[in-house]
Amino acid sequence: MAVEEAQSANRGGIVSRLATWTENLSEQTYALLLLAPGFLILLLFAFWPLASSFRMSFFKDVVVGPESLGGFVGFENYVKLLTDSNPFATLTFLDPAMETGIFQQALILTLLFAIISVAGETILGFAYAMLMKAEYRGQRFVRVLIIIPWAIPIVIQGMIFFLLFRPGYGLLTGPLHQLGIFPQLPLGDAFSGFVIVTVADVWKTSAFMALLILAGMESVNQDLYDVADVMGASTWQRFRYITFPLVFPALMVAMLFRTMGALRVYGIIESTGVGCSTVPSMTCLVTQFTFGSTTLYGSAAAVSVLIAITVGVFISIYLLFIRYSNQSLGLA
Amino acid sequence: MSIDAQDHDDAETLDDQDEESKNRVQAWAADWIRNPQKAYTVMGVFLGGVLLTTTLFPLYWLFAVAMAPPGQTNIPLIPTRIDLYAFVDIFQQVPFARFMFNSLFYATTVTVVVILVASLAGYAFGRLDFRGKLPLLFSLLVLSWFPPATLFLPLFRAFNQQVKMLGLFTLPTEIYGTPGAVIAPLSAFTMPLAVFILMTFYAQIPDGLEDAARVEGSSRIGALFRVIMPLSAPGVATAGILTFITVYTEFFFSFLMTGDKASEWAPIVNGVLAFQSRYTVRYDLQAAASLVAIVPVAILVVLAQDKIVSGLTQGALKE
Amino acid sequence: MARVKLDDVSKSYEDVVAVKNMNLDLQDGEFITLVGPSGCGKSTTLETVAGLTKPTSGTIHIGDREVTNLPPKDRGIAMVFQNIALFPHMDVYDNISFGLRLRDFPKEEIDERVENAADIVELGGMLDRMPDELSGGQRQRVAIARSIVRNPDVFLMDEPLANLDAKLRVNMRTELQRLHKQLETTIIYVTHNQAEAMTMSDRIAVINGGELQQIAPPLTCYNEPANRFVAGFIGSPSMNFVPATVGDGELQANGYSLSYDTAAVEELTSREEVEIGVRPEDIYLVQNESEADKPSAPVEVVTDVLEPMGDEIFVYLKPIGSGEEDGMGSVEEREGLLMSVDPATDITEDQTVEIVFDRARIHLFDRGTGDAITHGVIEGAKMDTGSSEGEAQADD
Repeated sequence: MAVEEAQSANRGGIVSRLATWTENLSEQTYALLLLAPGFLILLLFAFWPLASSFRMSFFKDVVVGPESLGGFVGFENYVKLLTDSNPFATLTFLDPAMETGIFQQALILTLLFAIISVAGETILGFAYAMLMKAEYRGQRFVRVLIIIPWAIPIVIQGMIFFLLFRPGYGLLTGPLHQLGIFPQLPLGDAFSGFVIVTVADVWKTSAFMALLILAGMESVNQDLYDVADVMGASTWQRFRYITFPLVFPALMVAMLFRTMGALRVYGIIESTGVGCSTVPSMTCLVTQFTFGSTTLYGSAAAVSVLIAITVGVFISIYLLFIRYSNQSLGLA
Repeated sequence: MSIDAQDHDDAETLDDQDEESKNRVQAWAADWIRNPQKAYTVMGVFLGGVLLTTTLFPLYWLFAVAMAPPGQTNIPLIPTRIDLYAFVDIFQQVPFARFMFNSLFYATTVTVVVILVASLAGYAFGRLDFRGKLPLLFSLLVLSWFPPATLFLPLFRAFNQQVKMLGLFTLPTEIYGTPGAVIAPLSAFTMPLAVFILMTFYAQIPDGLEDAARVEGSSRIGALFRVIMPLSAPGVATAGILTFITVYTEFFFSFLMTGDKASEWAPIVNGVLAFQSRYTVRYDLQAAASLVAIVPVAILVVLAQDKIVSGLTQGALKE
Repeated sequence: MARVKLDDVSKSYEDVVAVKNMNLDLQDGEFITLVGPSGCGKSTTLETVAGLTKPTSGTIHIGDREVTNLPPKDRGIAMVFQNIALFPHMDVYDNISFGLRLRDFPKEEIDERVENAADIVELGGMLDRMPDELSGGQRQRVAIARSIVRNPDVFLMDEPLANLDAKLRVNMRTELQRLHKQLETTIIYVTHNQAEAMTMSDRIAVINGGELQQIAPPLTCYNEPANRFVAGFIGSPSMNFVPATVGDGELQANGYSLSYDTAAVEELTSREEVEIGVRPEDIYLVQNESEADKPSAPVEVVTDVLEPMGDEIFVYLKPIGSGEEDGMGSVEEREGLLMSVDPATDITEDQTVEIVFDRARIHLFDRGTGDAITHGVIEGAKMDTGSSEGEAQADD
């Protein structure tokens, strides 16, 4: 015992002394100490920028001069965004007359993108999940093949679709042009650009959706299927009365995640070569205002606040829907 | 099977061919009505095939393009010859290895930082009782709702234009273009999810094991790293892999917070785009670079596929 | 090896008091058992000794050192847990050597000590197994080896046998006793199982509601329980309790009256309501009267349900004419007594039998506080004539 004490005293390094010091803290202090590093990072690189963005959105854009922010202008930036037409993007397939406010155009485009892509991803994701869940030889291999697109960097996802649709010689450019669906330069056209971006997004993120749905399926108690078999349920009935209702919460979470992702769409627009000037999403406006020929920091901040509000609205809708459907499905 | 073979033999008699095929269809139909399970299997295999083709075709196309000779613009669906020269060329034309290294460096560093810091926080949230727990957890949740664009502008100004952080202090000049400019915001951005995953896993470890470690001579902090983390290995792996892949595939901060040059810590985003802007007709290089850049994450997916699925099943969806 | 001393230790959580003014003074090498119903605070008491919980007030000494605020690792203790708590990611060797490795012992010494400990608990040759490859008993041995390998000053055991099956539990009980004889280390053992407490300990500390009820050698707790709670908790099956009122040299209870020696029990005269306690094994049929130290006068009762246990029969007894209103107290108060008799006894249900109490083993408790007043003072028992007449009338 004396030996033990001697031995542990020998280790009096700074680390062990620190660890010993934490031993005598109360649970409250100890918890806060453990949270400190994480919340310090979050404070500097998340909470502060959020607050700062919010504040900046009420200050005037300064186009010329060393200072990039002018005086306090209240909601002027927001008003401008919601009423002025678009000086950067030409959303010809949405609003040829360019009479709508710039933010509404981006909002409508982003919402369209979110709804179409999430719908496509949900259907495909469910199908992929079933494919990953079923048991057969080579199932592990198929799982890997399905997951891989999700792990592909966005810039490469963009590159792939650029190569498929690049001007003139992309694999699908010619055929689709001859069918009269796409113009000769599909990447530069608002409608076909939008379609390409949506397809690219569905291709990559269906896998993520499938992973979350699969996780939901795996956590369903397998005994329930045996019960259903004993009761003589058909394959469709098993899906309808067991798989679907029990996977539903996971499906909602997955859709929520993906909707949030889709509302922030930006990288795939740039990396396919479609570009923000052709398909201006909401996030596009932020980068255009920040890096464009004229820097409009106040407006950029106002757009980012509006994006956050849009995401917030969608999350609320989902949460309300989940709560409502849990009640009506009788799920706890 | 034997019935199939028989049908085939009979079909050789030309006279009966029509009749035969009609019979065969009817036989199938009858068989499927009697055995719907069989029909589902056939449909499943067919649908699965279609789905897999859709997933894999774009990747195959990338490969086909990489095989094409330099400068060829009209690339056939099936490569005329196997030419791997592009895979060598990408490392010579631009420092693509460095771009790759930078990306892997970002992903690894952020993962290590996030797992360490989120472990401490996840331990506190999952195993300790303290005042302010719910509000702090809720603030994490709310944070994960905000798009990166909202965080971007103030950080860009703080990193690039010496705007004071928190209104208190200025960062050293030209932090923009150093690894910190990407690692810091991405750590903050990926942390909430990691905290949630680790929290659920750490909370499931029985108290007795932690007590045993402490009685045996470990400090509280030591017990976290010696006992709780190793026992939550699937959760730590899931959180780590999700973080790694998020950062490696990320576009927004990687693209906007760095310069264009590999020596300025630009990640593969810039590496790949460099081919697109500088070697506009070398599609083979663009495709080869893309394929090479996929390799690390593809290996990760192959190795950790079941960990990802089981980790998500056990933890992430239980909140 | 060391003394362990708890002075006025209390632990309260937000709205619950788990431990209240606990005072314990353990001798060096003593095997002491903290026993009580679940939630009584015995585990919390043990955790304060381990350092896993900080007491709200009070001090704890191990040996000559005050350890109240020391972390567990610096207290010179080892602990065996109810759920065994082996580290599932380490093999047996790593589990046993965990504490030694944390303290940077040289490799050779670790090997030697681990081998030694494994031998003591008969685990030789299993050092490279993983915990999930072991049986329940083997796991428990690993946990014990892990705790003895460091030669701790004090062993703490928190219901170590609770998760084992009945047969194994009895085996491990003897092994622990053997181990204690061999190591002569102070052991604090927590259990809710009074049989474990009785068989293993030098002293038992009976705890209820966070308070120490009695600390004494097992037989003292059994023969001279400090209060009604200890009397009811120690011994199986439980002691019978009969409410009684104090008369002049007589206790009126449930249709019987019991006389007592007024000179011997002065305390009784100051009270009106007491409770009589008698263990099932201290009630005898008249034909076995000779087995009692001081048999009382016979009392007539009717047998109710019989529970043959193999080595004995539990007989539920009810007073004659019970279940009918007779003005002598509610039916509940007249609930029957439990008696244990030899399995060879010729006895049937609903039979009228005569019983005697062992007067040397009758306990009296204050009905208000529950404190013991005296043990073994009743002079004689007889049928209360008045009430038996009443009953006879009722029978008519």
